Amino acid sequence: MKWILKAGDRTDMITFKNVSKTFAEETTAVKNLHFHVEKGEFFALIGPSGCGKTTSLKMINRLVEPTEGTVHMEGKDIRDFNRQELRWNIGYVLQQIGLFPTMTVAENIAVVPEMKKWGKRETGKRIDELLEMVGLDPKTFRNRNPDELSGGEQQRVGVVRALAADPDILLMDEPFSALDPISREHLQNDIATLQERIKKTIVFVTHDIEEAFKLADRICLLKDGEALQTGTPRDLQHAPVNDFVKSFVGNRKPDLWETPVSEVMETDSKHMTRETTLHAPSYPAPLYVFGDERRFLGRLEPSGTVSHELLISPERPLREVVSAVEASEYDAVPVVENEQLVGILSYKNIVAYLYNQRAETGALP
Amino acid sequence: MDPLNEFLELFSQQQETLLSSLWEHIQMSLIALLGAILIALPLGILLTRTRRFAEPIIGVAAVLQTIPSLALLGFMIIFLGIGTVPAVIALTAYALLPILRNTYTGIREIDPAIKEAATGMGMSPARRLRKVELPMAMPVVMAGVRTSMVLIIGTATLAALIGAGGLGDLIMTGIQRADQSYILLGAIPAAILALLFDFILRWTEKTKRSFMTFGVVMASAFLIVISPTLVPAQQSDLVIGGKLDAEPDILAHMYKHLTEDETDLNVDVQAGLGGTDIVFDALLVGDIDIYPEFTGTAYVDLLGQDPSGMNEDEVYEATKKGIETAYDLVYLEPMAYNNTYALAVSNEVGEAYELETISDLEPIQNELTAGFTFEFLDRPDDGYDAVTEAYGFEFADVNGLDPGLRSQAIEEGEVEVIDAYSTDAYLVEYGMVVLEDDEELFPPYQGAPLLREEVLDEHPELESILNTLAGEITDEDMQEMNYLVDYEDVDPEVVSEDYLQENGHLN
Repeated sequence: MKWILKAGDRTDMITFKNVSKTFAEETTAVKNLHFHVEKGEFFALIGPSGCGKTTSLKMINRLVEPTEGTVHMEGKDIRDFNRQELRWNIGYVLQQIGLFPTMTVAENIAVVPEMKKWGKRETGKRIDELLEMVGLDPKTFRNRNPDELSGGEQQRVGVVRALAADPDILLMDEPFSALDPISREHLQNDIATLQERIKKTIVFVTHDIEEAFKLADRICLLKDGEALQTGTPRDLQHAPVNDFVKSFVGNRKPDLWETPVSEVMETDSKHMTRETTLHAPSYPAPLYVFGDERRFLGRLEPSGTVSHELLISPERPLREVVSAVEASEYDAVPVVENEQLVGILSYKNIVAYLYNQRAETGALP
Repeated sequence: MDPLNEFLELFSQQQETLLSSLWEHIQMSLIALLGAILIALPLGILLTRTRRFAEPIIGVAAVLQTIPSLALLGFMIIFLGIGTVPAVIALTAYALLPILRNTYTGIREIDPAIKEAATGMGMSPARRLRKVELPMAMPVVMAGVRTSMVLIIGTATLAALIGAGGLGDLIMTGIQRADQSYILLGAIPAAILALLFDFILRWTEKTKRSFMTFGVVMASAFLIVISPTLVPAQQSDLVIGGKLDAEPDILAHMYKHLTEDETDLNVDVQAGLGGTDIVFDALLVGDIDIYPEFTGTAYVDLLGQDPSGMNEDEVYEATKKGIETAYDLVYLEPMAYNNTYALAVSNEVGEAYELETISDLEPIQNELTAGFTFEFLDRPDDGYDAVTEAYGFEFADVNGLDPGLRSQAIEEGEVEVIDAYSTDAYLVEYGMVVLEDDEELFPPYQGAPLLREEVLDEHPELESILNTLAGEITDEDMQEMNYLVDYEDVDPEVVSEDYLQENGHLN
C-alpha cells in the first residue's frame, strides 16, 4: 500500500521554481524546471541518461547550485539555510554507495548525528534501531568494515546512514542500479515497507520505469533537461502528454497478470451458443447459453439450461481471475458484462495469451 | 686480526664517538624529516585544492631531488655556511618530493563518490579532510614519509662533509683511511636507525587514530631532539677548518695548540670539511677563520693559474699576491714538506725494472696496470693527461679508483702504478717506491695557513704564531704523523701536540 495523503492536507516540502542550470561548458543541464514534492511523498525523477535528473536532485542538497530560479524547502529558499546544516537534514544515498572505508558500519552511520552533536548513547541506540529496521543484526554488523559487506548490505547501510539523524527529506540517486537483480528487488521491497513506517519525503532518481512505477507516488519524466510530464504512474500511462512519454512509459515491461480479461477471452467460442441453435447432446462441456442481445441465460445441462454462479467481468485483471477459475469445476468460465455474455475465458486462452506475450517481449526463445 | 674482532675492538674504543655521532645523526634526521612533513603535507593538501599549480610545484620538488645530494650540500654553504643548519635544510629540501607527491596523489585518488558522499552529508571541507580524506590517504602519505625518512638517514651521512657531524664522520674517516671497520661503525648504526624509524612509523600507521599517534610521536621526538640545543653552546673566538683527511686535521690542531699556547683565545677545530670547494666557501662566508691550504691547490684551483715551470717559492709568492687581491685573504708562510703528486710503483716492480724516474716507465707502459684517483684522471694541468703529454707515453690499462679503497687493490697486487701524494702514509705501509718527476711536471704543494684579512686585523698576533711552523715539518715528519692517525688510529689532537712538544714549539 502506498502512502497517500488525503486531498486538502497536502504540504509542499520541496518546490522548484523556474530552475535552470547551465554548466561552464555552456551545456544546459536543466531548463526551466518547475515542480513540487509533497510532504511524505515518494517522488521519482526519471528519464534517459543525460536528461538532468541527477543534476536536479543535487540542487536540493546544494551540491549543484541553479543558474536561474530557486529551490524552496518548506517555503523557504534553500540558499537561506547554512549549507552544511541544510545537508544534515537531507539524507543522501548515492548510486556508488560511498561508505567511508576507514570507518566501521557504526561510525559511518554516526557521521551526521556526530555533526549534529547528538549524545553517544542516543546515537548508539539509533544505529541499532536503524540496522534492525533494514534487517541487519546490530551485533554482527556494527563493527564491521564496509569492505566486509555484500553490495546489498552496503547499500542498506547507505540508506541507514542517510536516515541516521532523522532527516525530513531523503534523496536517492539511482540507489539500486549498481546491485544485482535479486538484491535490487529485495531493497526495492524493503524501501517500500520502510517508507510506510517512516513516511519521509523521498526524492528518487532512476532510469528504470519499472522501479519508478513500483515505488513512486508521483513521477516527473525529464528529457533533455526539461520536465515533460509530472503525475502519478497512472497519469503517465493513461494520459501521456506526448509520444515520448508514451513510448517511455510503454517501454516498461507490462505485468501480464495485470491484463484485463477482455484482452484474453474468446468472444466466439465453442463453449457458447445461442438458445435457438441448440442441438443437444453434441455440445462440449461446459456450454453457456445466451438469448437475444447476447443476454446470458445459463449453462446447458442434459436437464436443460441451469443458472451459473461464477461470472467474470471483462475488466478484471487476470491475476484475480485465475484463482476463481481454478476453484471452479469447469475449464472455461463465462465473461459477463451488463448481463450480456461477452466471451469465454478458458485455461487454454490464458496459457496461449501468456505464451504469445512472453514470446513478443523476448522472454521466450 | 680478523675483521670481526677488529670491528668489535673499534666499537669498544669508539663508543663515545659513536654515541655522539649517532645522536647528531638522529637530531639532524628527525628535524629534517619533521621539516619536510611540515612543508610537504600541507602543501600537498593545498595542491589538491588548486590543481592548476600541482604539476609545476611537484616539478620543482622533483628538480630538487635530482640535484646530487653532495652538490646540494655544497650549494647550501654559499648561503648558510657550514654546520648543522645548512645540512638540515638541504636534507629537508631533499626529502620534500616523496611526501609531497604521495600526499597529493593519496588524496586525489580517493573515489570522487566518497568525497561527494562526505560533502553531501554536510561535512565542511576541513572536516571532510580530517575525517575522510586524510585517513584514506594515510597509507600512501606514510609510504612517502617512510621513503623520505630513508632518504634523509642515508643522505645525512654526507652531511659530515660540511661539518654537520653525524654517522657520516665515521664513514668518511673509514673511506678515507680504507678502514672497513670505521665504515661499518658508521654504516651499521645508520642502517639500524633507518629500520628503527621505519618500524616506529609503521607502528603509528597501524594504530587506530593513526594521524593523532603520528603527530604525538613526531612532536615528542622533536622535543627530545631539540632540547639539548636550547642550552646555548660555548662561543668560540676562532674556528680552524680542514679538509677531510688526516693531514689537514693534524695541521688544524697544531694551529689550535699554538694559538691557545700563546693567547687566551678559545679555539675550535672544524675538520673533515669535504673538499677544497666546501672548506674555501666556509672560509669566505666566515664559518671558519683559518685553514691549511696547499700552494699548488690554491694557485691552480682557486686562482685558475698554470704553475708549469715555477719553483716552490715562485708558486707561493704568486698565490699569496693573487689570493689577497682576489679574495682579501692572507696566505702565511708555508711549511717545509711538499705534498705533491707523484707516481709510485710497488717495490717488486720497481726492483724488477730498476725504476727511478717516471721516464723509466716508458718501455714497460703496456705491461703495467695503473690505478689512478678520479681527481688525478680529471685534472687537466697536473693530472694524468699532463703526464702523458709531458712524458709522451700512456699506460695500456688505466683504472679509476677511490684513493682509500685503492690501497686494497695495491695490497692484492691488482694495481702496480698509482698516483700518490708524497706525504701519504700508505707509501710507507705498502712499501711503494716514489718515482722522480724528472720532467718537473707536478707543481709544488706546500701547506700554509690561509685566513681572512679581518681575522688577522682582529688578532694580529696570529701571524707570528702560525709562522712558527714556516719551514718546519719535512715530508718524512708528515708521513709519520699521517701514519699514526691513519694506521694507528691516534687522535690528531694528540699527534699534533706530541710533534709540537718534541720540537719545542710549545711553552
